[in-house]
Amino acid sequence: MDSIVLESVSKIFRHRPALFNWMGRERGGETRALDNISLTVGSGRVLVLLGPNGSGKTTTLKLVSTMLLPDAGHVLVEGADTRTRPNQVRKQVGFAIANERSFFPRLSARENLDFFAALDDVPRSSRAEWIQATLERTGLVEATDTLVMKFSSGMYQRLGIARALIKQPSILLLDEPTRSLDPAAANHFWNLVRELPEQGCTVMLATHSFSEAAAVGDSVAVLHRGALAASGRLSGDVEELRAFYFQATGEMDETMELVTPRW
Amino acid sequence: MKLAGLLDKMLAIARRDLLTAIRYRIGFLVGAAGALAELAAFYYLSRAVGPGFRPDGVEYFPFLLVGTGLYTFLVVGINAFLHIVQEAQQTGSLEVLMTTSTPAPVLVFLSAMSAFAGNTLQLLFYLGGGLLLAGSLPASPNIPGCIVIFGLSVVIAVAIGILAAALQLAIQKGSALVWLLGSGIWFMTGTLFPVTTLPKPLRLLADLIPITHSLKAMRLALLQGAGFFSLGTELVILALFSCVLLPMSLWIFSSTLRRARLEGTLSFY
Repeated sequence: MDSIVLESVSKIFRHRPALFNWMGRERGGETRALDNISLTVGSGRVLVLLGPNGSGKTTTLKLVSTMLLPDAGHVLVEGADTRTRPNQVRKQVGFAIANERSFFPRLSARENLDFFAALDDVPRSSRAEWIQATLERTGLVEATDTLVMKFSSGMYQRLGIARALIKQPSILLLDEPTRSLDPAAANHFWNLVRELPEQGCTVMLATHSFSEAAAVGDSVAVLHRGALAASGRLSGDVEELRAFYFQATGEMDETMELVTPRW
Repeated sequence: MKLAGLLDKMLAIARRDLLTAIRYRIGFLVGAAGALAELAAFYYLSRAVGPGFRPDGVEYFPFLLVGTGLYTFLVVGINAFLHIVQEAQQTGSLEVLMTTSTPAPVLVFLSAMSAFAGNTLQLLFYLGGGLLLAGSLPASPNIPGCIVIFGLSVVIAVAIGILAAALQLAIQKGSALVWLLGSGIWFMTGTLFPVTTLPKPLRLLADLIPITHSLKAMRLALLQGAGFFSLGTELVILALFSCVLLPMSLWIFSSTLRRARLEGTLSFY
């Protein structure tokens, strides 16, 4: 069964200029962030969204999380439409967003997780134990009682992942999850993601990193200018994925120029 | 939603707010010092005006105390809704909060209840301090009446607060509504002087502001010990405002939130 289904989904952002904008140059208009996208993610699979900036990766994740609603088409999460049954969808989905500062700065890591766990209906009886386990899984156990305003970017990112995991979601959405992590922490995180499907969790991950995509993904969807440029299964070979990506997007692989001598 | 789950969420939000307030130690002390300075200012103002001025038949200092205390309580409570949404937009936590299993209107409502609980303590501190300063307690206050008036006033403030939060989501300028309440209409609500001293057109406008009726009813019940029969008109008006404003504000908030999700403007500020 498919856990996530996008059926002919389009998302348009409309821009309205300020009311009194006689002196400025702001103009109205619209950005077509997603254009008639259809894709599916099977239960317990890891789908990687690859694409350049502005290709629609984050918009796709936000649509699945109900943060955004589609202008056309349907987004189904475990069979529930995000438009008509958003509360049911939210119970299933954990989302680690790219914004690192979306925490309460004067609460500790444990207190922040406790707060979000309460809002996500994690039973009070098992909450403390589950928070401790999640902090251990994300490598934050030594910072358990540190106020998050003292956190580094990488620690914020780990806490964001911990927050997404705290509700034990059946679907995990990750937006550039290793952007601020050092190589060892990124490796640890990839191991964590690879374990999730064994626990029945479906993962949708947006990234720019070919290594990350090859390390954790079962399949890939390449987005380009809001359209689905290509999709396929992943073999774990980074170079193969790189070639597939540049062929799909039609962009220049400038790293090749760096290694190809110019005589 | 089950009551136990709702209480658990309420406790989590209250704990977050309490811990944050305690950890902003200086802010807590400055707030208390500000309230004391305000009390002293009103006390000396009433002494300067002299004992001959008895608005609505009561001494001026208790009149001021109830007016400014309750007005500030309600406006600060309304502001709390706006502050919650504004802060969440600025830190980026609004989008995350909107993807938790707790429906957004419940979340905003519980957050504001927590803020009201904190403000109630401040109000009691303010009124208690003022009465100590005055050196006398009201002779025979109608405490059950005060509680009913307080409850209805909180419901109205919650409704206006939810409207401010909706305005913040829609045009990112909910502060305009709170500014209007805080500075634009305070003089019409009878905070510092009786509404009867205003010209007739302004008196008619004042009657359309729910806070005017909250202040009038609270003074009657607390300072003059008016019974439920004497409070009847004001209680009916407050109940009507509550019944109309609360469902209307919740509907507007839900519609605005849905629109923000469609337009992708949830985190705009």
